[in-house]
Amino acid sequence: MFSRNLLTSCRAPSKDVSCLRRALATEASLGSSTTATSTPPPASSKRSTRPKITTAIILNRSPTLTRTPTPFERAYYAYQARIRRALHNPFPYEFYFKQGSLLETRFNIEEAERERLAFGKDFTGEVVTSEKEEANKRAVAQLSQQEGEGEVIMPRTHESDIKKDFKSLDRKGARNLYLLLRVNHDGKQVWRFPQGGVEKGELLHQAAQRDLFAECGPHMDTWIVSRNPVGVSKSPSEATKDGQEDITFFYKAHIMAGQVRPTQASVSDFAWLTKEEIESHVSKDYWEDIKDMLSRH
Amino acid sequence: MSAQAGAVARRNVTRFGRAPPVTKNLRKNPRTLLPQPHVKNLLVRDIAPCRIMDHYYNTLQDDLMYMTYVHQSALPKQRQIRLTFDPNDPYAKNRYNPPVGGSQVGRKPAPLVTPEDVIRLERIQIHTMVKEAIGSRNNLLPAIMAIRALTGETYQGGGRHSNDGIQIVKARKSVGGWLRPGVPVGVKVDLKGPAMYDFLGTLVDFVLPRIRDFPGFILPPASSSVNSPNAVSGVVSFGLPPAAMGFFPQIEVNQDSYPKMFGMHIHLVTNATGLGAQNRARALVSGFQIPFIRK
Repeated sequence: MFSRNLLTSCRAPSKDVSCLRRALATEASLGSSTTATSTPPPASSKRSTRPKITTAIILNRSPTLTRTPTPFERAYYAYQARIRRALHNPFPYEFYFKQGSLLETRFNIEEAERERLAFGKDFTGEVVTSEKEEANKRAVAQLSQQEGEGEVIMPRTHESDIKKDFKSLDRKGARNLYLLLRVNHDGKQVWRFPQGGVEKGELLHQAAQRDLFAECGPHMDTWIVSRNPVGVSKSPSEATKDGQEDITFFYKAHIMAGQVRPTQASVSDFAWLTKEEIESHVSKDYWEDIKDMLSRH
Repeated sequence: MSAQAGAVARRNVTRFGRAPPVTKNLRKNPRTLLPQPHVKNLLVRDIAPCRIMDHYYNTLQDDLMYMTYVHQSALPKQRQIRLTFDPNDPYAKNRYNPPVGGSQVGRKPAPLVTPEDVIRLERIQIHTMVKEAIGSRNNLLPAIMAIRALTGETYQGGGRHSNDGIQIVKARKSVGGWLRPGVPVGVKVDLKGPAMYDFLGTLVDFVLPRIRDFPGFILPPASSSVNSPNAVSGVVSFGLPPAAMGFFPQIEVNQDSYPKMFGMHIHLVTNATGLGAQNRARALVSGFQIPFIRK
């Protein structure tokens, strides 16, 4: 959905700004109420109407764990696996295993277990005497002990999930996380992505890189994905009520290592949040601008 | 409510419960006398979630779209090489519209990047040539078994009718005193879907890090032609030495069963076409953590 949004916005002629922001209608009504009292001077110079350009960086931590399948998906996969098992081609035991080797014994035991899971306990292949079965199991257990199997698997929930530590990069391993900063904006504390201005003669993606380091510190390895912005938002600047527009270009970046260490006093806090959590943190207008740029995974 | 939810949670969705009662016996095949299932064309789909495929659809696809996107205004205007054919023109009506002359290979610009047409992996082809098979075709067997162990593919295995399994490559040309057309010289297999991504994951996680003195696959020099069929085909190819086959866990577990190890060519076929296709394909492949270096 996001990608389509991006492409339509990029394909549009640059003069036609109405497509850049969906909430422009409400902005217009807001603007008209303010301009009704103080009409901007008609002879405003070209300089003052030049939009103020900002770059914002959507710093993403990609999923580090596989997604947990839903019960429906698990049932579906199990059903398909059962059909595939029933229809598989014969397996050439004699090529892959020496007759009577430990490896073959282990394979047979594991295969019998898989058959039992797939087709129920009444489904029996080769009949083995109980003594032989016991001996086989002991031998296989010894083999697996020699090979150092049975290591404890890491849990899927990190301790930061339990402690609700929003600053940890290890939280919510199966989801995409995004960096949000809490900054002082006109005396109010607001959450937003890292952002900054563009200096004269500077390219947008260079500005994005500089602004990211300026706000989040140099103690992290990041990669800005593309020189193209992935989205844009447009709103009249509140600071100067002379109709100057505020255009923000969003860049996608990945964090590879390190952690955010805010360097500026204006940044009071930061958090790594999923898409749903971001919605509850940011203002409604900001959410409308950014929601299609975030992954729902 | 909670008791009901508990009962639902206790029921295992992945295990086979109880076989349905037989109300009517299946029809028997007159030739083989085996029971015939009611279903004629059974389609078997994915049997497990695929980690690398998820990685592509969650992360890589978006990133690659941003990286390969070219704004329409930035595209160079196509030079009109001849008069366009206008069927409404009375002169051109009912006349033959000849195609543009000359080979168009390496001249066509890349198609526009759209969300539906982001570069993706279509298939992986693994190919091994076995020289000894020219003398005796029995020497193909270890290679067939090794590739089968690597990929798990068999002819229409698991009810997948489109699966060609492991195919035998036969010589096409006659090479003086050495090869005749039709002589089996190697084996190949085409991987698609989750099997393809699983193979890629194994290659990246187990094999490439263990190859001795392997910094990455060497990129062609910057001076190489951008219009060659190789550069515009969107296929990334590389080879593995025979020693690398032993690093695949599927082979490593019973390496003694194989008389020798085989090297292989691996072709990663993407949907990229047009100018710069191979560069875009490499960008995709390096997203799967296959390393490339410049010489």
